Amino acid sequence: MNSRFFYTLLLVYLAASILHILFLATGNRRIAKFAYWLTIGGFVLHSGFIVVRWRYAGHLMAHWYDSTSFLAWAIILIYLCIAYRTRLRTIGVFVVPAAFIAALVAYTLQTQEDTAIPVYLQNYWLIAHSSVIFLAYAAFVAAFGFGLMYLIEEKKIREKQHTLIFSLLPALGRSDELCHKCILVGVILMTMGILIGMLWTQYVKEVKWTWLDSKVIFTIATWLIYVLQLGIRQTLGWRGRKTAYSAIIGLAAVLFTYVGVNLFLPSIHAF
Amino acid sequence: MNQIVTVGTSHHIAPLDFREQLSFSESQLTEAFQLFREHPDVQETAILSTCNRVEIYAVTHSKDGCAALSDFLSNYHQIEPGQLDKFTYSHQNLDAVRHLFNVTASLDSMVVGEPQILGQVKEAYAQSLTASATGDILNRLFTKALSVGKRVRTETNIAAGAVSISYAAVELAKKIFQSLEDKTVAIIGAGEMSELTAQHLVKNSVSKVIVANRTYQRAVDIAKKFSGIPLEYDADLSFLVEADIVISSTDAPHYLIDRHSLAEIMRQRKHRYMFLIDIAVPRDIDPEVSKVDNAFLYNIDDLEMVVASNLKDRGQEAEIAAQIVKEEVAKFQLQLQAFEVNPTIKALHQQFQGVVSKELEVCVDKAQLTPKQQQTVEAMTQAIIKKLLHQPTTNLRQVALNSDLIEVVNNIDGEHVQYVRALQEMFGLEKAANTRDTED
Repeated sequence: MNSRFFYTLLLVYLAASILHILFLATGNRRIAKFAYWLTIGGFVLHSGFIVVRWRYAGHLMAHWYDSTSFLAWAIILIYLCIAYRTRLRTIGVFVVPAAFIAALVAYTLQTQEDTAIPVYLQNYWLIAHSSVIFLAYAAFVAAFGFGLMYLIEEKKIREKQHTLIFSLLPALGRSDELCHKCILVGVILMTMGILIGMLWTQYVKEVKWTWLDSKVIFTIATWLIYVLQLGIRQTLGWRGRKTAYSAIIGLAAVLFTYVGVNLFLPSIHAF
Repeated sequence: MNQIVTVGTSHHIAPLDFREQLSFSESQLTEAFQLFREHPDVQETAILSTCNRVEIYAVTHSKDGCAALSDFLSNYHQIEPGQLDKFTYSHQNLDAVRHLFNVTASLDSMVVGEPQILGQVKEAYAQSLTASATGDILNRLFTKALSVGKRVRTETNIAAGAVSISYAAVELAKKIFQSLEDKTVAIIGAGEMSELTAQHLVKNSVSKVIVANRTYQRAVDIAKKFSGIPLEYDADLSFLVEADIVISSTDAPHYLIDRHSLAEIMRQRKHRYMFLIDIAVPRDIDPEVSKVDNAFLYNIDDLEMVVASNLKDRGQEAEIAAQIVKEEVAKFQLQLQAFEVNPTIKALHQQFQGVVSKELEVCVDKAQLTPKQQQTVEAMTQAIIKKLLHQPTTNLRQVALNSDLIEVVNNIDGEHVQYVRALQEMFGLEKAANTRDTED
């Protein structure tokens, strides 16, 4: 039942992704509206799914499967917040497919679920630490989306191609500002997540805090990329293309920290 | 039978001086409406008079309603009939409907997709309505025409994209900055195009205008127009640090702004976006400037290209709009047909109602019913009328809706008209309907 439910959710996200892209291709606002409400429907389904699984399995974040599913959920959450506040639908074109991919990955990982979970992971520390970190990742995904939108729009303006996409995408100033805000929110959340993680090790005997864990090192490196970007923007006024590029590089670092480290390097972190 | 007719002129077929001759001023409108009210053949009128077109819409009794309107125009404005025929067009029934829909959809405008015409038609309709010149049919026609205009604008991109150079510049500025509030414009040199563009920018709430010129007095003169700040410049371009939008149109033979000087200016303004518009020929700004981060350069050719491509896009959208107009004309036709059977249905109901209330009175008297009983019986009779007439009413409406469009276009009575006649004969409704008309 679990798997069939998640399969339905995947289809909803897929349909929402396709509709968003269709909106950008046609400029039809009715499609945009429909895509938005379908995404809301997917979000409600997904939230229900996470709650049920939490109660049924007794944990929320102890598996790759759950964490990736949570990441997809968080991306949609951030998208809906942005779409609600700014009335922008075009960001969905870049972000909803990302959520779909995350959900798809979660779906394929489902077979590995329900190995025994160490007792020290069965507490609220894990939930707090990882959910905050994943919300930060979701904000970085949105920043990446705005970065792409900026670069596409800038290209259209420089090449003097005033096509449909040119008229649908928001102004450069807006994409840039929203990209910046997403990075800012992401950095704040990530800082909180790291601090929670550090505190956690003080209270749990099984794990010792160490700066030398590969996951920790790469997390700090990723964090630094974003913080540096914020600093340079503040002092030298770097914006526009440079902000967009750092949002893209930053997300690459996030992906490596999240997935790459576990594939290639040893770590105390399960994910 | 009633006819919807229109006679009018527009920029398509008539020169300006003829349109001026035919136009109606505010006081002339009142006068014209009065004259039409006394006209034996004309039941309803609406007059649209703008600088690009003058059109009279009317519902007439006579076989040739267009001739009645033409006669009126030639008498009222004292124009020779020969000249009037040369510079006016006339349409009847569905063609008249289609014409008005094309007008509100802006398909008949000089620039397809222009926004003013919808407001002008709305205004003209409101005036005709207040003068009680319109009636059931024109009210329906104009309400529909306005909604067609709106539909075309929401469902197609017919109004998208600037179609003049100065608007194209404003549109681009909005695509770079989002909001133009708190932005500063600098105009270097002078020229009609740069002033026009600056005017549009000010209208879009740009907060500050700097006018730089080699001669201070010239700068002061231009700056007055936008309450701008006049500035005499020589080689010093440091005022650009403040400028978000730069419009350059000097007659300098060489580049005023090159890549290096702009890069330095951008550094000083912390890389905030700058939009540079080069209207000068020969050019004022080195094209290499567009390689500087966050600086965007458009010259006169670029803007002209944008306008040309927008016009082309509008042409494509106009085809979709024409399809919408076609659909709406067909829908309106159905409405009109249903509308034609309405008086008969109403008369039938009234006749039944009359018989019932007479009989009810007798019955109440005879049986000495209490008020409560009386209420029950009344309710019952109403229900009987409703149920008895339900089937014939629905059928008649259905026949009207199914009537062949072509018949009506060719002024041949549709099948529903035969039904209406049959009903009128069988129930003796004609008399009732006629008395109602005279009462009106």
